[in-house]
Parts: sequence; structure tokens; C-alpha cells
Amino acid sequence: MDPLLLARLQFATTTSIHFLFVVVTLGLVTLLVGLQTAGYLTGKPVYERLTRFWGQLYVINYVLGIATGIVMEFQFGLNWSGLSRYVGNVFGAPLAIETLVAFFLESTFLGMWIFGWHRLRRGVHLALLWGVALTAYASAFWIMVANAWLQHPVGYEVRDGVAHLTDFGALVTNPTFGFAFGHVVSASLVTGGLLMAAVSAWHLLRRTPDFLLFRTSLRLGLVTAALAVSALQGFGFAQFGPVGQLQPTKFGGGPGREAMVADWTARFGPGDWAPPVLSSVGLGFMILIGFALGCVWLLLPLLWRDWIIRLRFPLWLLLLGLPLPFVAVLLGWIAREVGRQPWVAYGLLPTAQAVSPVSPALMLASLIGFGLLLGALAVTNGTLLARHAARGALDPALGRPPAPDTDAHHQPVFA
Amino acid sequence: MELAWYALLGLFFAAYLVLGGYDYGVGLLLARRAGAGTGRAALTAVGPFFLGNEVWLVATVGILFGAFPTLEGELLAGFYPVVLGALAGVVLVTAGVQLRGRAGGEATRAGWDRIVVVGGVLAALGWGALLGGLLQGVPLTADGHVAGVGHVVTPFVAATGLTLLALVAVHGATFLTLRLPPADAPALARLARGLVPAALTAVAATTVLGLLSDRVRAAVARPALAVLLPLVVVAALLVARAALRRGRAGVAFAATATALALPAPLVGAALWPRILVATGDPAASLTVAGAAASRPTLALLGWLVLPLLPALLGFQAMCWWVFRGRIDGRAPVYW
Ligand code: HDD
Ligand code: HEM
Ligand code: HEM
Repeated sequence: MDPLLLARLQFATTTSIHFLFVVVTLGLVTLLVGLQTAGYLTGKPVYERLTRFWGQLYVINYVLGIATGIVMEFQFGLNWSGLSRYVGNVFGAPLAIETLVAFFLESTFLGMWIFGWHRLRRGVHLALLWGVALTAYASAFWIMVANAWLQHPVGYEVRDGVAHLTDFGALVTNPTFGFAFGHVVSASLVTGGLLMAAVSAWHLLRRTPDFLLFRTSLRLGLVTAALAVSALQGFGFAQFGPVGQLQPTKFGGGPGREAMVADWTARFGPGDWAPPVLSSVGLGFMILIGFALGCVWLLLPLLWRDWIIRLRFPLWLLLLGLPLPFVAVLLGWIAREVGRQPWVAYGLLPTAQAVSPVSPALMLASLIGFGLLLGALAVTNGTLLARHAARGALDPALGRPPAPDTDAHHQPVFA
Repeated sequence: MELAWYALLGLFFAAYLVLGGYDYGVGLLLARRAGAGTGRAALTAVGPFFLGNEVWLVATVGILFGAFPTLEGELLAGFYPVVLGALAGVVLVTAGVQLRGRAGGEATRAGWDRIVVVGGVLAALGWGALLGGLLQGVPLTADGHVAGVGHVVTPFVAATGLTLLALVAVHGATFLTLRLPPADAPALARLARGLVPAALTAVAATTVLGLLSDRVRAAVARPALAVLLPLVVVAALLVARAALRRGRAGVAFAATATALALPAPLVGAALWPRILVATGDPAASLTVAGAAASRPTLALLGWLVLPLLPALLGFQAMCWWVFRGRIDGRAPVYW
């Protein structure tokens, strides 16, 4: 089998799975910051209970998501050693910054936040969550800078066949970065908001005793999703500008397409310089989903006098709509990433030159092994989230007050 | 400038082996079905540190990518099966630790324990083998790629993997001696002491195999440093054993931490200025300077990281400080 195909398949699988975790992480952490801050300011117990309940789901997702992220990070070196060899001087910088500026602090903060309940002062504990959220956004920022550079390489010059950094500012002002970052962040907020609304809807449909609690999170989730979906649509359409101009071969081709292909043929020799036709199919579906999700605005008036809960069918709609954002994010990424083929770095480094000289058998083993492993993680994550969400907010393990001193035996809390 | 970054890379990897090392070591000890420091108590002991420990690996690879891109590609691809094993181990431990407590019955929980054990074994073997593989050099093609992966299959690499595994097990048991309630400490200290001879044997075997290996002798540029490494590790293990006997868990932990901190920097120093030494023709080797990113990139990263480093280390220290001391039955149980 062709190592290039295997490496591409593995990248597609790993990243797609990673991103399913990421949207939930980014979305929920933002909502959690709101909840815990509200609890800190108002002192109302309902907010603390909400923070513990949603925090529990957030943490499960986060920790399993890390496992997928680590695989992502190693994959560059394992399967794409040409990428680090030819463009590592430029592309490596934002990734290094991401790990040091963002992940390092994020994980340290989160560890303290999880175990710091009842041990740290409330202000410090809240500050830790803020730290987690800010560093999570920083990580999304820098990874998108890196990705945008692959979409449209800037701020470099090629010497001896290797790209060298000349202007770091250009990476951050890259036209393929800003709108994409806004779009990804809004997509995460839509996903997080909808997840919160849907889980709350389920409890309200089941008439769990915690009515007030889930009513609050239903409202918070819905309003967040509604505000974010408008931003999402705005950023989404805004992306067509830079993409059409800078990547004329994407999405079936803009006006500059022929000139671009002629230029590449002159520089890199004849070849098939068009992306697979499949690449833009998903885009249309994503946009459809975007408009469908826009309908959450129609539910907002029903918040008045709790009509949304009394009528019940809007709650069902929310539950049914939950898979939509997950489908949309995958379709969006496939459009963006497959649309840039056959380049790893658009117009600079062909994908075929970036793949590691590793035997296909090894790559196949890695593809199957990690595909199964990460797939199992994603399924486990879904099941666990569902189970813990269903268990309700009575007494989540997260933030449970310490047991009385007499208890010398460690009781299994999850039994 | 390359040297500073190389030192930072070594520091981060060493810190990962020390901190991640006790996570994996504690994980390995889950293989015992009963006794002090099994099951939930063990996980509660590592709990608050787990995420902060693992992220040293993420940062190590980040530095590797940013500051030594050529090395990143060649190292990871050139040691493909080894890295794959280590990576699978890391993933299994991360997932297993978190999922273990959420499983339903006793049987499921035992299954998760086994997964954590396998993960810990894979991770320790993998990182140990990687260090051993560096010490014995790699075959390089004319265009500078590592040729194939067959070069890792040697007795020496197997021995370095097993050595790290043994060190990690001692380290994990010592960590538990330090962290679990005082009543459990003597039993754990006995366990840790019992593991020391195995570690000593592994170190001795590795040393002999290394001295016998032509490849290792050819690849090492500073034999004195390479010989120093096993000597210091043996000394650290003996100190740890003595300290455990006297009930000085803190000293013992410092000693086992030293044993895990030293391999990465000393391997780097013994090979300096080369890092991927070409077997056959050392002149064709990849040097640290040759693997480094170009000046503007290093300068940019330097300006960013220099002011940040105190914050990174400070928050880690805050985490150790907040959760210092022994756990008791009241410790928050989350995993
Ligand atoms: C909740 C998920 C979601 C929804 C409902 C939408 N998108 Fe999206 N879209 C994404 C999630 C996403 C994404 C996964 O986050 C992508 C992949 C890369 C990126 O920057 O965002 C993306 C990519 C992406 C791209 C490709 C950019 C490129 O190739 O460089 C375009 C043009 C749009 N989107 C436009 C839209 C429009 C016009 C939408 C509807 C009104 C829309 N998206 C809804
Ligand atoms: C933001 C960080 C990202 C970076 C730096 C990145 C980088 C890459 C690289 C290097 C490849 C392999 C080379 C290639 O085929 O061009 C690739 C392929 C791919 N990526 Fe991404 N990616 C990122 C995010 C994502 C996300 C979040 C997804 C999906 C959810 C995704 C989906 C894909 C797919 C489907 C491919 C395969 C495309 C093909 O080969 O046809 N990417 N990406
Ligand atoms: C190809 C590119 C990518 C690489 C190499 C990568 C790498 C990683 C790594 C190593 C982690 C674990 C960090 C830790 O230990 O704390 C992680 C988690 C995370 N990543 Fe990615 N990632 C990529 C794509 C993305 C994208 C596209 C986004 C968002 C836009 C993103 C956002 C996050 C977030 C928010 C986390 C936090 C934890 C979680 O969700 O589980 N990553 N990633």
C-alpha cells in the first residue's frame, strides 16, 4: 500500500477524532467560567452545583481528549518528517509556542482545579478555571495560526530548499487565520451550548427533581448557542473572501485557477494539481446545518414563561439536533483540509514530499492500531458523558466535600 | 544558542521521566492485586499531579519541533516502532487512570488496572529503548534519513528499555511510600527495597552490553560521561535503599528521582555535539547544530520562552506545594 495514502488516512482519522473532543472542551470551558464566576459573585448554591455537574462532564472529555492530542503531536514526526525538515523552521514555531504557552499551563491549572475544591480559597480556585479557559483559547489560537500557515504560507523565504522564518507577524495576520479562528471558536460555543441545552432538555423531559437547576442550564446553553450561531454564520461566509482569493483551486475553482495551475506546472512540473472533487461536497451540508442551527433563535421567545418546557416538543428538537454540530465540524474540516490538496503547505510543499520514508507495513499497523484505540476512546467518551449526564447533579464526584475524618478506608465513589 | 535550547530540551525530557516516571511506576504496581498502595489509594496519590506531569512530554515534543525540527522528523520516524509503543503506553495510562474508577464492577476495574499496567510497561520500555537507541547510533542514508527501523533490534536497546522499566517501578513504589498514609509506609518501603536489586541487575546488564557493543563504543563521543551514567544510577539506587530502610522516604524519593533525571542529559552530553550518530561513518552524523532551527526561529522562541519559564515552573511548584504531604482517607477522590 502507498505510505502517502496511509499517512493521509491516519491524519484524517486522528484529527477528526481529536476535534470532536476539542469542540466540547472549548465550548464547555467557556460556559463553566460563566457558571463558576456567577457562583462566586452571587454566592448562590445553584451555580456551584451547576459548576460541579458540568465540570464533571468537561473533565471526562478533557482528559480523554488529551490522549488524542498527544497522538496528534507525535504524528507529525512519525508520518510527516518531511514537514519538519522543509518547513519546520516556520511551522514549528507556533506549535512550540502552543505547547509551552498554552498546554503546559492549561494542564497544570486544570489538575489543581479538579483537586483543589475545598482546599484552595474560592478566589484562587476560580482564577484557576479562568487560567484553564484562557490557555485553552490560546492553544486554539496558535494551532490555527499553524494551520493557516499551511493553507497560505507567509513570512518565510526559501534558502537551500528549506523555508526560513522572516516575518513572524505575518503568520498572525495571515488572511486565512482570523476568520477561521473566529469560525472555529464560534463552532465550539455552538456545540458546547447545544450540548448543555440538550442534556438539560433530557432531564426536563424526564422530570428529574432538579427542575430549577436544569432550567438554568437550558437557558444558558440556548442563549449561548444562539449568539454563537450568528457569529458562526458571519465568520463562515467571511471565509469565502480570502479562500477564493488565495486558494483558487479550492471549492471547484475561482477565477485564478488556471493561472495558478499553470504556475505550479512551471515550477513543480506537470501533475494533477486539483484537489479531489469530494472535497467541496461536505461544505454545502455544513452550510445547511449552519442554517438549521440558526433556528435556535426561534426557540428563544419560548423561554418566556417556560413555554419551551411546557410545550415539550422544543426539548425534543434540541435533543435531536445535538449530533448536527459534530457532523458540521467534521465536514468543515474536511472541506478545508482536503481542499488544499495536493499540498501540505499550499503552493510550497507537495504532500507527497512530506511523508516519512517509513515502510507501509509499519504505517498500516499504526493506522489500524491508533485508529482502533482512538475510536474506542471516542466511543467511551460518548458513553461516559451520556451516563454521567443521565446520573444528574445530585452528587457528582467533582468537588465533593471531603469525607469525615473517621473514614480511613477509601470507598469507591463510582461504584 | 543551540546549546541553550538543547539543554532546555534535555531538562524537559528529564523532568518528564522523573514526573511521568512515578505515574507509570504507580501504574505498574496496580499489577499487585492487594496490599497497600493498590487501587484507588494509588490513583488518589498521583491524582493532582497527573495532568501536570504528563504535559512535560507534550512540551518536550513542542520544543523538539520548534527548536530542532530536523531532529524531530528523523528521530520519531527513525525510531517508529519504539515511539509507537511509548505513545500507545502513554495513551493507555492516561485513559486507563481516568476510566478505572468509573467502571462498574470489581472485574471491570481489574481489567482497567491491567490496561494501566500494560500502558506503564510500554511507556517505560519505549522511552528507555529510545535513549538506548540514541547511544548506539543509527544507519543514515546519503540524504540524511534514518535507514529502516531494524537498527533498534539489539540486546543493548532491550536492556536499556528494561532498565528504565525497573527504575520506574522503584521510583513509583518510593513515591507511594512518601504519599500514602503513615500506616502504609513500611510495607511500601519494603516493596521498593525489594525492587532495587532488580534495577541494579538491569543497570549492570546494560553496562556490560554497552561496553561490549561496537556500535555503542563507536557512537559515544565522551566515554567518561557514558560510564558515569550507570555509576551514578547505581549510587542513587543504593542511597534510595538505605534511606528506605531508615524510613527516610523523602531522601529515597530524591535519590530515585535523580536516577531517572540523569539518563536523558547524560546521553545527550555523551553524544554531543552529535545527536543521531551515523553507524559506520560518524562524519555523516546529524549534529545538534545541524538539527536546530535557523537563528530567527530560535531567537523568536527564546524571547517568548525566557520570560515565561519562571511562570511555567512556578505554577508547577504551586501544584506540588498545594498537594504536598500524605493523603488520608479524606483526600478528594476524583479519578
Ligand atoms: C458547528 C459547526 C459548523 C457550522 C454549523 C458551520 N461551520 Fe463552517 N466550518 C466549521 C464548522 C462549522 C469548522 C469545522 O470549524 C471549519 C473547518 C476549518 C475552519 O476554519 O472551520 C469550517 C470551515 C468552513 C469553511 C472553509 C474554510 C477554508 O476552506 O479555509 C467555510 C467557507 C465555511 N466553514 C463556511 C461556513 C458557512 C457559510 C456556514 C453556515 C452558515 C458554516 N460554515 C457553518
Ligand atoms: C489546526 C491544526 C491542523 C493542522 C496543523 C493540520 C495539518 C494537517 C496535515 C499536516 C495533514 C497531512 C497532509 C495533507 O494531507 O495535507 C492534514 C490532513 C488532513 N487534515 Fe488537518 N490539520 C489540522 C486540523 C485538522 C482538523 C481539526 C481536522 C478535522 C476535524 C483536519 C482534517 C484533516 C483531513 C481530513 C486531512 C486529510 C486530507 C487529505 O489528505 O486528503 N485537520 N492536516
Ligand atoms: C494538528 C494539530 C493539532 C495538534 C498537534 C494538537 C495537539 C494537542 C495536544 C498535544 C493536546 C494535549 C494537550 C495537553 O496535554 O494538555 C491537545 C489538546 C487540545 N487541543 Fe489539540 N492539537 C491539534 C489540533 C487542534 C485544533 C484544530 C484545536 C482547536 C481549534 C485544538 C485545540 C485543543 C484543545 C482545546 C485541547 C485541550 C484538551 C482537549 O480537548 O482534550 N487542537 N491538542
